[in-house]
Order: sequence, then structure tokens, then C-alpha cells
Amino acid sequence: MTRTLATGPDIRGPAAGPAPHRRPPERSALGRHQARAGMLFTAPAMVLFLVFTVLPVAGAFGLSFTAYDVLTPPSWAGLANYGRLLEDDTFLTTLKNILYYCAMFVPAMIAISLVLALALSRRLPGMAIFRTVYFIPVVTSPVAAATVWAWMLNSHYGPVNEILGYFGIPGPAWVGDGSTAMVSIVIVTLWQGVGSNMLIYLAGLQNVPAHLYEAAALDGAGRWRSFLHITWPSLRTTTFFVTTLSLIGAFQLFDQAYVMTKGGPGNTTLTPVYQIYETGFNRLQMGYASAQAFTLFIIIVAVTVINMRVNRDQVPE
Amino acid sequence: MRWTLPGRLAVTTVALLTVISTGCAPSDDSSGSGGVVELTFWGDWSGEGEQQFRTMTDAFNKTHPGIRVEYVVQEDMLTKFLTASTSGQAPDVMFWDRWRTATYAPKNVLEPLDERMKKDGVERERFYGEAVRELTHDGKVYGLPLTVDARALFYNKAHLKEAGVEPPRTWAELEQAAIKLTKREGGKLVRAGLSMDDAGLFSMYLRQAGGQMVTDDCSRTTFNSPQGAQTLDLWSRMIKGGVYQTGFETGLGEGTDAFATGKVSMIFTGPWNITTYRKYGKDLDFGIVPPPAGPQGDRASLMGGFGLVIPRAAKQKDAAWEFVKWWTAEKDNALKWARTSLNIPGNVAAAKDPFFTDDPFWKPILDTLEYAKVRPACAGYPPMEDDALIPNLQLFLGGKATAQQALAKAQEQGDRVLTQNNLD
Repeated sequence: MTRTLATGPDIRGPAAGPAPHRRPPERSALGRHQARAGMLFTAPAMVLFLVFTVLPVAGAFGLSFTAYDVLTPPSWAGLANYGRLLEDDTFLTTLKNILYYCAMFVPAMIAISLVLALALSRRLPGMAIFRTVYFIPVVTSPVAAATVWAWMLNSHYGPVNEILGYFGIPGPAWVGDGSTAMVSIVIVTLWQGVGSNMLIYLAGLQNVPAHLYEAAALDGAGRWRSFLHITWPSLRTTTFFVTTLSLIGAFQLFDQAYVMTKGGPGNTTLTPVYQIYETGFNRLQMGYASAQAFTLFIIIVAVTVINMRVNRDQVPE
Repeated sequence: MRWTLPGRLAVTTVALLTVISTGCAPSDDSSGSGGVVELTFWGDWSGEGEQQFRTMTDAFNKTHPGIRVEYVVQEDMLTKFLTASTSGQAPDVMFWDRWRTATYAPKNVLEPLDERMKKDGVERERFYGEAVRELTHDGKVYGLPLTVDARALFYNKAHLKEAGVEPPRTWAELEQAAIKLTKREGGKLVRAGLSMDDAGLFSMYLRQAGGQMVTDDCSRTTFNSPQGAQTLDLWSRMIKGGVYQTGFETGLGEGTDAFATGKVSMIFTGPWNITTYRKYGKDLDFGIVPPPAGPQGDRASLMGGFGLVIPRAAKQKDAAWEFVKWWTAEKDNALKWARTSLNIPGNVAAAKDPFFTDDPFWKPILDTLEYAKVRPACAGYPPMEDDALIPNLQLFLGGKATAQQALAKAQEQGDRVLTQNNLD
């Protein structure tokens, strides 16, 4: 634990992939020993992952074919839960809502975290402070932050609209209005999440070889052209990683919707996970909730695969 | 370092797993030392509420040498109860949000109390009838009421005096008062005459208009009716009169509460806010009246509150019943609880104590309780309100649907939600 935020650039995204110039692994005694150590290091995480993630997921899949209320033993229901899903307007609404949210959230997340990383990767005094400042929301409790944000976005007395008012802009009702409620949640979740992706991008930027920029400068490329032809392509794996994580996280939106809007107004911010929680824990329909959860899981997998394809199809420079 | 780290890691893992596994293992010895029966009492009130509960358990323990009740705070009580009842770890007594009875009683996880009540001469009539009804399923009583509450109209005395209006007694007076009390500056709402944030109050207005939310057997919704239209008509007249704007109160919690800070002149809320609002002292001079009567003079309010239940899996049911009976059915104890926690007790005799009847804040709530009704007691009702009715009413309040559209859509979706959720 010697790493601090100030040395953020050292942290590499797990999907940053092998660096271009890595030597092939040597089968030395040391290498074998390291491999063994590596297994041991990952073993606790893998065991916990198996016991607390893989097994429950398999269990949920099984339960999705049953009627189960936790209190009495499950009874086989076949495809009834999935059939009910097809007629469930509310669940369909939550899916539409979450797609709308993703469409706003993910591109904005990429753009803002990349811009921040580019700005903060310059070697100027005080950068460590800025990095820390942008990272602070990441370690803030989502529920506490959402509570404060809900007040800040109050239509009549919130600071956000007060400030807008100074500039003569009539602020919207934010979470109080169905057409802006989801935008409000996008703003709050961006604020909360942008710091960690900024760090990942900062790490990615460290891996872009400096000589490429020198060569480009010699050829007379400006800043924009260097960005377009060197930085952006070099960050391809990083962008893939950030996009994937953001998408998966976005599909599981819950805290902010629960605290700020309770899914309202008019179900405009109701999310699948919120509805799964309601179905399972407040209505004791774990079988149906499992079917909802599994459907969401399939959708997330599908979207991730599409995202992978899109990224792979981009021709590397 | 290199050589020792993996080893150390392995040791730590083993240690951790040991802790986890032993932590989960059952480790109870309910009937402990010297023939004293140990009772576990679960609740999700912490802080002040926990102190209030402990006052009662201490008093009980002092007078019952053979029984010792221990209050345990369970933040996520229901989830814990779900797993506990299947693994035989259930508590002996549980603090219970009454409306959940309709969902849990059919699952056979709560102990019916009728026989014990009969044997000990505890009549249902000792308690508020509606509260007992909410704890009843298929004719059996599954708990006894601890507290009762009902919505009434809280009003800001200073605002009403300034506007020259009396506390409203009818819908017509409510509408006029709300419009007169509203203040706008340059078109911007700065003070709302009546809080219209909670669309869930629809059921109260509907019953004031003489309507009904669902059929008696809870199989269909009945709010898409002339009375439902009348309710939304009242709302729409007030909104057109400038009384309210959606989003006016969002994000305002205790400390920034719109009524307490004078941004709202009247609000339908419950007795739980009396204590909160009294804290403001001179800064908030407020009064309470029962909810105004509807066009045909019908009176209605929404009753809620808590009870005590005994899980079926409880190990010490006899002692648990002693405790429940002592707390809720015996007037003196119910009153002691009421005065400690500042809640109206479910025990009618205790509620009629001068402590409440002579108090200008509690009296109107007591009057309201005479006709307040609980939510229809079926499992499908809460999801119907949450998934179908309230979202459509919010669209109406936000100007995104007409009254007819909102009611028709809510009926269509609501009927389906009722059928789907009443099944099991």
C-alpha cells in the first residue's frame, strides 16, 4: 500500500492489455515461483468470487423458473416468470429508462474523464491536488452525495438554480420534472464517477510513447492532429475498458434513483435494479425478481459483446 | 519479503474464512441462566427510538423476574427476518410496520394470537379497530397495535392570519385558502398555499369525495370514477390557481422542511411531525385541524402505524406473548410508551388520556383517528399504488397527462398489478 493518489499515473487499467514491447515469459525458476505467488495472491479473491458471485448467479438462474418467497420452499413455475415479464409494462419502462440513461451517461463519461486526464497529465505544479479533488467524489458515499445533490437541484431554493438565476437563466425543476429528472441523475453520477475513469485514462496516457509525439511534431502535426492520430488510437484499450465498466455500472443504476427521485416523477427514473429490489424484497417474489435480474444480466452481456465488436472493428493505426 | 508474503496471505485467508464461518454459525442459548427466559426483540429504530424501546424493556424486565427482554436494532430488519425465519434464528418479538401483514401473514411466518387473546381476556375492542384490521388476515389476528397515526392538516397560523383565512373545514374552503395563501414574485412561486408534493394522498381525497380505491375483495381498482375525477379536478383547480409547482419541495429534508421554513402554508402530514415542528419553537407557530370534508361532507384520513408481532419460528412464544400483552394491552404501559415516544398508542383507553386529549396538537389527530382508515389489506395494493397509480398522478401533476388519461392509464395498469401481485 505505498501507492497514493498523487502517483496515480502508475495505476494501469486491468484491461490496458499487454504493452507492445513486453518480452515473452521466461520459464525460469524465478518465473515459476512468481507464477505460484500470483496464484496464491489471486486465490482468496477467486474463492470469494466463486462463493459469493458465481454460485448466487447460478442460484438466481435456477430460481427464475420458480415461484419463491424466501419464507416457503420454491415451487417449479417453468417459464411463467419470463412470460409475465413480456407483459410487464413497468419493467419495460425501466429498460427504456436505463437505455436512455446509458446513451447520455457513457459518452459523457468518456469525454469528460478523457479531457480531465489530458488536462491533468501535464507536468505542472499542483496537479496532484487537482487529481485528488476530482477523485474525492469517488470515495464519497453515493447515498449521502445524492441527498445533498437533491437539495442542490431543488427548483426554487437549490443553489444550482440560484446560480443559473444570476445569469438570467430560468433553471428547470430538475428532479421534479419528468423531462429533466434523468438528466439530473446523469449529472450526479458523472460527478461521482468521473474521478476513477480519469485515473485510468491518466494511466493510459503514461503508456503512449513520447517519441511518437516528437515524430509528429517534426512532421508539423498540431495538437489536435496529434490527439486524433496518436493519443486517441493509443488509448483504444483504455477506452474500451472505461466504456465497458461504465456501461455495466450504468445498467445497475440504483442508489441515486432511489434517493433522489424514488423512480419518479411518473416512473421516468425507475431503473431495472430498483424494480428488482422492489419485487424481491418488498413484494417477496424472488422467483420473478430473479427472472428480471437474469434478463438484465443477458442484456448487459449482449451490450458488452457489441461494445467489444465495435472496438475490435476499429482498425488500429 | 518475497518468500514470506504468499505464506502470510494463505494464513490470513484461512483465518478470515474461520472468522466468517464461525460468525455465521448458530450460537444461541435462549433459555439461559437460572430459569430466566431470554427474549430477543427486533426493531429497526435506532438512536432516540432505541432509547424509547429500552425504557420499555427495562420496565418490563424489572416487573418480570422470570423473563429478560433484550432489544436488538436490525437496520435491515425485514431482509434479516427473511433469512432468519428459514434458518431458525427468528426473534421472539418483532416491531412491525402493520401494512406488511397482508404480505407476510399468508406465508405462515407470523403467529396468530386469537387463542392467547381469548384465554387472557384481551378483547380486540381495546385497540383501534382499523389498526387491528390491518393486522388481521383471513379472520386471524397476527399482532397487536403499538402506535396509530393519521394524516391531518397542519397550517401555519401566522400565514393564515396575515391572509385573513380560517383553517379550512371543507374542500371549497381548502381551495380558497390555498390560493389566498400562495405567494408569487414575478411569476416565481415563493410560498405554496398547500403542499401538493405527495401524490399518494390521492386515496385520502378520494374517500373524502365518497369514492373507493379498490373493490372489497381487492381484485380490481375503482378509483377511475366520478369521485376520482372530482379529486383531480380539485387538484387541477388549485394548480391552475398557482398554488403549487412540481419540484418545489424536492430535496428538502428535516431542517430545510418546506412547512417548517415557511415555504408552504398548509400540509397534510402525520403526528410524527408534531415533535419535529415543535422544535422550531417561536419560529413556527402552527396548528392542526382534521382533514377538510369532501363535497358531500364525507370525512376521511389515512391511518398508519406499528404493531408487535410474534414470529412463528420464535422459541419462547409464551413469554413473548406476556411481553406483547404487557406493552400494548395494559393501559398504563401503553400510556407510558406513548408519553416516552410521543406516539399515539394503539390502545384506545391509553390514547384517551388527558396527556393527548388536552393537548391542542394531539387532539385534532385523535379526532381524525375516529374515522381514519388503513390501506386495503391485500398484498397487491401497495404495488398497485407504487407502480400504477402514483406515477400516473405524477404525470398529471406535472402537466404531462390529463386527468382522464391519468386515471384511465392507472386503472388499466393497476388492475393488472393487482392480479399479478395478489396471486401468492
